Formats: sequence, structure tokens, C-alpha cells
Amino acid sequence: MLLTTTAISVEAAQAAAAAAPRMDPLHHFQVVKYVQMAPLGLDISVSNSVVWMWISIAAVFFFFRYAFRQPALVPGRLQSVAEAGYLFIRGIVDENIGAGGKPYFPMVFTLFFFVLFCNWTGLIPGSFTATSQLIVTATLALGIFFLSIFLGFYKHGLKFLGFFVPSGLPVLLLPLMVPIEIISFLARPVSLSVRLFANMTAGHTVLGVLFFFSATLPWIGSWLPFGFSVVFTAVEIFIGFIQAYIFTILTCVYINDSLHLHH
Amino acid sequence: MISSAYAATEGHAQSSGLPQFDSSVFASQIFWTVVSFMVLMYLLQRYVIPAINDILDSRGKKISEDLQNAEKARQEAERVLAGYREQVERARQMASATLEEARLEASAIREHALADLTEELAKKKASAVEEIERVRQRAMEEVRDAAVEIAMLATEKLIAKTVTKAKAEEMVKGAVDHLEQNKASLH
Repeated sequence: MLLTTTAISVEAAQAAAAAAPRMDPLHHFQVVKYVQMAPLGLDISVSNSVVWMWISIAAVFFFFRYAFRQPALVPGRLQSVAEAGYLFIRGIVDENIGAGGKPYFPMVFTLFFFVLFCNWTGLIPGSFTATSQLIVTATLALGIFFLSIFLGFYKHGLKFLGFFVPSGLPVLLLPLMVPIEIISFLARPVSLSVRLFANMTAGHTVLGVLFFFSATLPWIGSWLPFGFSVVFTAVEIFIGFIQAYIFTILTCVYINDSLHLHH
Repeated sequence: MISSAYAATEGHAQSSGLPQFDSSVFASQIFWTVVSFMVLMYLLQRYVIPAINDILDSRGKKISEDLQNAEKARQEAERVLAGYREQVERARQMASATLEEARLEASAIREHALADLTEELAKKKASAVEEIERVRQRAMEEVRDAAVEIAMLATEKLIAKTVTKAKAEEMVKGAVDHLEQNKASLH
């Protein structure tokens, strides 16, 4: 008796669960492989994340190409925006790297607009946010990390190891400080990648929850989460910019540390 | 009951934790992140950054050229202004010199005219005096002739005897002389 009722109620619960709208704000981050490819054991499958990465870089490229389709000495609106973006990054590079920062400008410029447009295209309904994937941000952060190590040894040789020894410190403290410095150095790519990934994930999760509520609540209550979602979309646009900015600035700081060994 | 239902839906969604930690999609995303980044960097470095650099450089050049031109124009304007001022000064000096000359000439002409006038007046006065004298002479002569006639007629009547003309004239001459002597009282 008890068994049968349990069986029936489980079936009923399953049916109810399948019929009712299910809140799954993390569904948004599910990577779906559209095309499976692995030539020579190298997985180069094209997923929604990859497609939106492509859309983002295409958007960056065509935005600048379009803004500069007819470069004028007296710039139009779009050209002014593009120039402002260029000068913004140049300002960051000049300020944070200073002397000798010029060769890294194209890389920093690309990095900023890559991250910015990945953040922003992710706000288009139905799109995918490539920068909400930890592996994407980690790839970028590790690339910067290894670049800064390479630059350090390339420019200074073994003197780069002095970077981990803070100057003007009593010798007694060195056994304590050097491991701390090494750990903080190793933490750089982690914090860099997790910061961006976490910001994007959190923001989109909140948006997902708000959209779910505004879609499922009766009309009398749905306007509230809907209004929040509108405001929060604006906040997300701002956060998308801020995170790209922070990512870029920290990149410049790391390159500067390797170039000039300031400590 | 509820927990079993939850377990059922859980199994249905087959997602535990964040999808981001599903390592099966890591390799392809690493590959495509690197490739996408490199492609974007190539495209920007090849087509975008030089274009922006060019336009910024040419604008900077244009602005500095414009500034130089403006400076040149300013200097030119200053030069022209100085030349103009000099011209004005020269014209002013010339005008004042001309004015001075005219003043001198005018005063010379005036003096000349005054002298002429004085001379003419003097001449006119002289001729008038002369005329007066001549008229007076003639009047005297006429008076004298009339006196001679009267004297002759009177004498004829008085002495009934014709006085010769020579005699009469002598007498008249005596009377005229007398008259001449008393000329001052005559006037």
C-alpha cells in the first residue's frame, strides 16, 4: 500500500517537474559543441563559446574598419569613438609600462577589445559569453603570465629572480617573504582569470534568475524582476567594460614588472 | 518523496555544479581562444592600428603646421602693420611739411599784396595831390584872369582911359603877388 502510493507520487512529481518551468540560470553557461573535430588528436571542436568568440573578434575588427572606412582629419562620430578607444589603451600602456611599452601596445589593444566585446556580445539575448568560461579567461591569463616570465628572463636574465626578493628587507625575514612573493606571483594568473570569469558568471546568473522570474511570475509580480533585469543589463554593460579595463591594466602592470623589475 | 523527486529532476538535468568546470570542452576552447586572439591581433595590427596611427600622426602634423602658419601669418601681419604705421607717419610728416610751406607761402603772398596795395595807395594819393594842385593852379589862373579883366574894366571905368595891356598885367601881377603872399590866409 505504502509502496504503491510512493510509486504513484514519484511519478506524479516527475510529471509535475517536467511540466513546470525549471529555473536553471546556469544553463546559459553550457558549452554545446556544434561540430566535433579532432584532427591529430587536437580537439578543435566548434562550440557556441567558440562561435561567439568569432562573432566578437569580427565585431571588433569590423567596428574599427567601419569607423575608419574613410578616415578624416576631422573625425566623425564613429571615428571619434574608435580613436578614443585607441587613445584610451595607449594611455593605459603609457601610464603602466611607460618607456619601452610601445611594442606591447598591439597585444594590449587586442586584449582589451577581445575581452570587452566578448563581455558585451554575451549580453545579447540568446548569445553566449565566452569570457564566462574559466578556461577562456585562464588561457588569456596564463598567456600573459608566461609572457611576463619570458620577458623577465629575456630582459634581465637570472637577475629576474631578484624580483622575488623585496629590497630593503632584513635578511632574517627573507625565508618568510620570498615564498610569499613567489606565491603572490603564481596567484596572478589565477586571480586574473577568476576575476573576469566570476564577474561574468555572477552577472549572467543574476540576469538569468531575473528573467526567469519575470517570465514565470503572474503579471502582477513580473514587472518587478523585469525592471530589475533592465537596470541590471545596464550594470552588466558597465561591468563588462570595467572588467576588460582591469584585465588590461593588470596585464600592463605585469609586463611592466617584468620589464623594469620595480618592487 | 520530495527528495526523490528532486533527485529525479537532478538526473534529468544531468548538471552538477558550474558547466564551466566540465573539462571535456577545455581543449577546444583553449585552442580557439589562442587562435581567435592571434587572428584578431594580426587583423588589428595589419589594418586598424596603422590606419589610426596615420590619421593621428597626420592630424598632429596638420595642427603643428597650422600653428606654424598662424605664427608666420602673425609675423607677416605685424610686419605689414609696422610698414603701414611707418607710411602713416611719413604721410603725416609730409602733410605737416606741406601745411607749413603753404602757411609760409600764404604769408608771403599776403605781405606782397599788402606792399603792393600800400604802394598803389601811395601812388594814388600822390596823383590825387598832383591833380588837386593842378586844379588849384588852374583855378588860381582863372581867378587871376578874371581879376585882370575886372581890374581892367574897373580901371577903364575909373580913369576912362584905356590902360595898356602890359600895364594892366603888371598891376595884376602885383595884386596876384600880394595874393600869393597872403595865400595862407586865403585857404
